Amino acid sequence: MTQFISKRNLLSWLKRLTEEHILIAPTRVAELTLFQKVNRVEEIIFDFNNTALSPKECLFPTTETLFNVEKKDGQVELTPVTIDQKTVIFGLRPCDARGIALMDSPFLKEPADALYQQHRDKITLVGLACLTACPECFCTSMGSAPDDPSNLDILLTEAEDGYIVQIITEKGKALLPEELLSTTQAPPPAPPSPKAVPTEGLVQRTQQVFDTPYWDRLADRCIHCNLCAYVCPTCYCFDIRDYTDKGKTERVRSWESCQSLGFTRQAGNIEPRNTKGARLRQRFAHKLLYFPEEFGALGCVGCGRCVRVCPVNIDIREIITDIQKLGAKVEA
Amino acid sequence: MNLAEQIRNKAKELLESKTVECVIGYERATDGLTARPLFVYEPEEVGKLIFDQTCTHNLVKYLLNRRDKATAIVVKPCDSRAINLLLNEKQIQREKVLIIGVVCPGIVETSWNQTSEKLPARCQLCRQHTPVVYDFLVGETPPTEPAVPKPYADIVEMEAKSVAERQSFWAEHFSRCIRCYACRQVCPGCYCSECFVGQLDPLWVGIRIAPSENQVWNAIRAFHLAGRCIGCHECERVCPVNIPLMLLNQKLEKEVGELFNFQAGLSAEALPPFATFQKGEKLGIGE
Amino acid sequence: MAIEYQPKVVGFLCNWCSYAGADMAGTSRICYPTNIRVIRVPCSGRIDPLLIIKSFQMGADGVLVAGCHPGDCHYTEGNYYARRRFALLRPFLDYLGIEKDRFRVEWVSASEGKRFSQVVSSFTEEVRRLGPRGIAPERAVL
Repeated sequence: MTQFISKRNLLSWLKRLTEEHILIAPTRVAELTLFQKVNRVEEIIFDFNNTALSPKECLFPTTETLFNVEKKDGQVELTPVTIDQKTVIFGLRPCDARGIALMDSPFLKEPADALYQQHRDKITLVGLACLTACPECFCTSMGSAPDDPSNLDILLTEAEDGYIVQIITEKGKALLPEELLSTTQAPPPAPPSPKAVPTEGLVQRTQQVFDTPYWDRLADRCIHCNLCAYVCPTCYCFDIRDYTDKGKTERVRSWESCQSLGFTRQAGNIEPRNTKGARLRQRFAHKLLYFPEEFGALGCVGCGRCVRVCPVNIDIREIITDIQKLGAKVEA
Repeated sequence: MNLAEQIRNKAKELLESKTVECVIGYERATDGLTARPLFVYEPEEVGKLIFDQTCTHNLVKYLLNRRDKATAIVVKPCDSRAINLLLNEKQIQREKVLIIGVVCPGIVETSWNQTSEKLPARCQLCRQHTPVVYDFLVGETPPTEPAVPKPYADIVEMEAKSVAERQSFWAEHFSRCIRCYACRQVCPGCYCSECFVGQLDPLWVGIRIAPSENQVWNAIRAFHLAGRCIGCHECERVCPVNIPLMLLNQKLEKEVGELFNFQAGLSAEALPPFATFQKGEKLGIGE
Repeated sequence: MAIEYQPKVVGFLCNWCSYAGADMAGTSRICYPTNIRVIRVPCSGRIDPLLIIKSFQMGADGVLVAGCHPGDCHYTEGNYYARRRFALLRPFLDYLGIEKDRFRVEWVSASEGKRFSQVVSSFTEEVRRLGPRGIAPERAVL
């Protein structure tokens, strides 16, 4: 006997949530599916594969003020930004939930990023299991699965006339009123099987191919458009600048990408990553070598967004397969 | 012999004779349906080259990474205009580039894992099916160019709206801009070693992603391409949030055509419209 | 008490002709609306369309560019190039949603003090009639 919520009850619950929470859910805009703040539940779409951009922008916004500084009566006054309102992210896929969990590692490691911590504490994650796997998804090779409840507070799986409900955390329990739930005897639908990508021993192989010409060749067609980093649920590079106007200073943080020319430019015009190959290699070395070495898991969740969006088909699945082959050769 | 075979033969010949170090063309992408750029360095690899209606990419920008190296490149007519642009602006040397021009049947609309039979607007309105500059021509030049239906139809439609309607149209679209600069990265006309958005002093556009900043970015990039944009539509294709960028670029193309009777990319020698003037010209300014 | 709307007008004046013309208006004690904020540039040809769009972004309700009469440019040709650039910018601004009447280009010579004041008066009234743009740059602190 599993818990169940009818579509009607689900909509009325979501409507109720908008009264005290910011509700972020998938909506349709300009022929895209994007996570946006919804005021009316009619805007939410339930029939989609995945959003164009990941929900990381709810915890790590595209642009954010970190604090304001002002000089008043000879005293320097720093006003940090506080996040007051509770947020519910509805409709995120298990891969994206894992993405958030992976981002927690760098952002919440001591000393924790103050703003990320605030966002994280105020957010509840209500996920939607995948009933189909896109041809480019590979979450099962990256530690997740289409019906993986970990890293979520509530997981919903679409069934007849409603959703099977899995309440995973106390936070989730507190959010969803029991009176809206019923039970069902119907078994949950079998999860789809995304294609597999060979990740066994990948970290070591990535180290082995680090100094090969593979990266320069691959980077021939890369245009360093930054799209892979921007759509990725686990990429988190940023730039910070201070803007001053009439004696008041604002520190702003915005997304950046290791693919940008000049990302590693230092004083004296020294550029450690001054070739296309070095820049492109960095993204994969970070995800498949440095991140696992530091945080114990590959820095990719297999959502397939980078594969969908890359204008020149730089395909991480192909690269992983190439790294495995090339690494074995280098070892031999 | 079909287009792909002709290209492969020519590529093999050029690489074997060491006339060029590299041939830039297209190969099949990992979805098995669409295309992606390919750099061939060895004659044995030319078998990977393809050419069909999925070959949407403009490859000309890659020439800027190989300025001093002999390179062959496969170009469609729209792409060939980009070569003329770069020659005109002295960014590439004509003798270093071997142009394999393809008489283009039109490119179908594709996205990841999806092709179609539909030609996008830019192909339907195309007035040049034969490249404007080439060393070798692949395909048969059509005897006549098709009569073009009313051009700039979507621009005229925008012009018919009120200023307030246009203001809110652009505000809505620019609000989605995440300043990834993919439009700039893919554009063959955008090659400044320091883009105006990277300038710290004066600070034209900072790192803040906000509606008015987004407007300055998109408006000025379009203006920097005025009289230079050759209409490959790559910027609009790569935009992750579907901003109708060509509505900006084509408006400027239309105005430049009407004001100065100039079209970008047709000639490697013609003076660009903003690098010249006519003393007595009446342009509706200051009159 | 409501504050009456005062349009913010930015004026890019070329040093040799129009700025001198404005100066002449001043020395002749000719009055014109004080809404205009003058930015002196060496030549109208120096004015990048980026400066115009940036002015609008930063809160200007109207932008005036004044240069030497064609044929009289201190640098011989600067204003010819400027004329071409602005001929394209004006319809483009309108297309973006900034009424083209908020952007004006005038040729004012060094001796045309009276004309300068007339230009500024008429332009300020035009911008007043169009109303505030209502756009301000996004800042947490201002």
